[in-house]
Amino acid sequence: MNKKILLVEDERALCLLYEEELSREGYDVTAVMDAEAALAALAKTAFDLIITDIRMPGKNGIELITQIMGLRKDIPIIINSAYQSYKEDFMTWAADAYVVKSASLDELKAKIKQLIGD
Amino acid sequence: MIEKHNILSPDFERDAPREMTLLSIISQSFFQPFSLEDNLLVILTALTSGSGVGFNRAMLFLKQGDRLRGEMWLGPRSPEEAGFIWEVLSTPGIGYIEIIEHNRALVSKNEDTLSRRLKGLVFDSCEETALIPAYAACRKEILLVKDARNEPLADRRFLDVIGVDEFLCIPLLAREEPLGVIVLDNAITRTPITPADIKLAGLCGLIAGNYIYSATLHRKLLEMEKMAAMGEMAMFVTHQLRNPIVAIGGFTDQLLQPDVPQEKKTRNLAIIRDEIRRLEDIIYQMGHFLKVSMKEPAYFDPGPALAAVFDSPEVRTKSQGITMNIKLEACLPEVLCDPTSFGEVVRNLLDNAFDATPGGGMVSVRGYRKNSGRFVLSVRDTGRGISNPDKDQLFRPFFTTKEKGMGLGLPFIKRVMDTCGGKIEVQSRAGKGALFKLIFLSRERETTS
Repeated sequence: MNKKILLVEDERALCLLYEEELSREGYDVTAVMDAEAALAALAKTAFDLIITDIRMPGKNGIELITQIMGLRKDIPIIINSAYQSYKEDFMTWAADAYVVKSASLDELKAKIKQLIGD
Repeated sequence: MIEKHNILSPDFERDAPREMTLLSIISQSFFQPFSLEDNLLVILTALTSGSGVGFNRAMLFLKQGDRLRGEMWLGPRSPEEAGFIWEVLSTPGIGYIEIIEHNRALVSKNEDTLSRRLKGLVFDSCEETALIPAYAACRKEILLVKDARNEPLADRRFLDVIGVDEFLCIPLLAREEPLGVIVLDNAITRTPITPADIKLAGLCGLIAGNYIYSATLHRKLLEMEKMAAMGEMAMFVTHQLRNPIVAIGGFTDQLLQPDVPQEKKTRNLAIIRDEIRRLEDIIYQMGHFLKVSMKEPAYFDPGPALAAVFDSPEVRTKSQGITMNIKLEACLPEVLCDPTSFGEVVRNLLDNAFDATPGGGMVSVRGYRKNSGRFVLSVRDTGRGISNPDKDQLFRPFFTTKEKGMGLGLPFIKRVMDTCGGKIEVQSRAGKGALFKLIFLSRERETTS
């Protein structure tokens, strides 16, 4: 069975790119564009990993992580943000990894593999 | 029962004691939104005005690093000029603003002679070697110099310029640090300097020192605010640029893989093209936002600019499905604003109103005079309104509640309004629509008969 990844990203083009690239690595990817949709998806499906952006319209990624920690502590979370500076916010330390967005997806793919295997 | 009084009376009371008059002149300078240079001129005016301390001439030196540099020199150049000036200034009913205007003209006229000669003067203000006038700043003491030609501590170049034997040096101090020196003399009337003159001039020096100190702090604060905004901008740009770059990089990598179907190639290239356009748009908007402060405000008739915005294809497209209700007072006054930014300010405000208002809603524009010398342009929408926490952030660059938007519209409007001495006010509650008011300084148009 393929491992299931929930992707929370408000940029449509990035959703498409990550979906395609991670599917090629053998993962099932569900992409949603905001925190509310992410919580709804979490209620329905048992995901193996969550990848979330921080700056999004509505609830931001940090608020989302806080809420997920209250619901399901066992799911690994990767923060994928354009900002380095959120690393200083201790709430982001609750995540299992912090990957700054880059034109190459190698680091993100390596972190996923490290956390949940192939 | 309530009795109302003006905070500052614009005219001097002729029978008031000169200490009161002096304080009145100087305190007006803190009240009026004049530049640092104009306010320093006010202080020199207080020292030379007949109803103030009454010296003939006042010169100002300011400290720059460890040097003291001549800045401005106020006073008549000859007894004839003195007679004329003092006659003008003692005209009954002449007020503070007129005197400042008059002295401003005098200082610029003096650029040819007095002030130009003064501006060539730079003195070392090192404690061990300083000569008069820098010596007063170093010692932090008021110096009354008599028989100056025979005073070894007096700088010879300075004596050649000032050309009198008796003068007073007042150090300008704040937090015990010397910021400059004011030199006063009675070159025209040749009247001796009295102990009462020295006391009053000393008081002026203290106030001037503290004024220069707070004005410098204010400048530094503005500079820091600008730096903080730049920092915030740099951080935002990182985010805004990074997302398209990730997309461009990722979809290009896919294209470089072998055997990519033609359909996917076309799709990826279209995405890459769109993301590059987005990068271009970000760069354009940033440049536009940074440029605002460079334009000078001027009075102009806002009518044609408003008509152009209301009739623009962009506004017509965006207002589809929304009722637009425009009511402007007949014969609008001239408003003070940068004319090229004015249209964009209104367009930005309308844009926000249309974006916030659902189909079937209404956007109302009103233009009316408020008190004298103010013109209000208001835009009201029936949209989703603004919550209280969002209201605090509205004018911060890069704050946005829109899905597509850089959050530069309202900061742009605020910068334009700040530059022209205007104001922007917001009234709104979540779910109850929003009212934005632009308040411009205005003046009635001159009617040609």
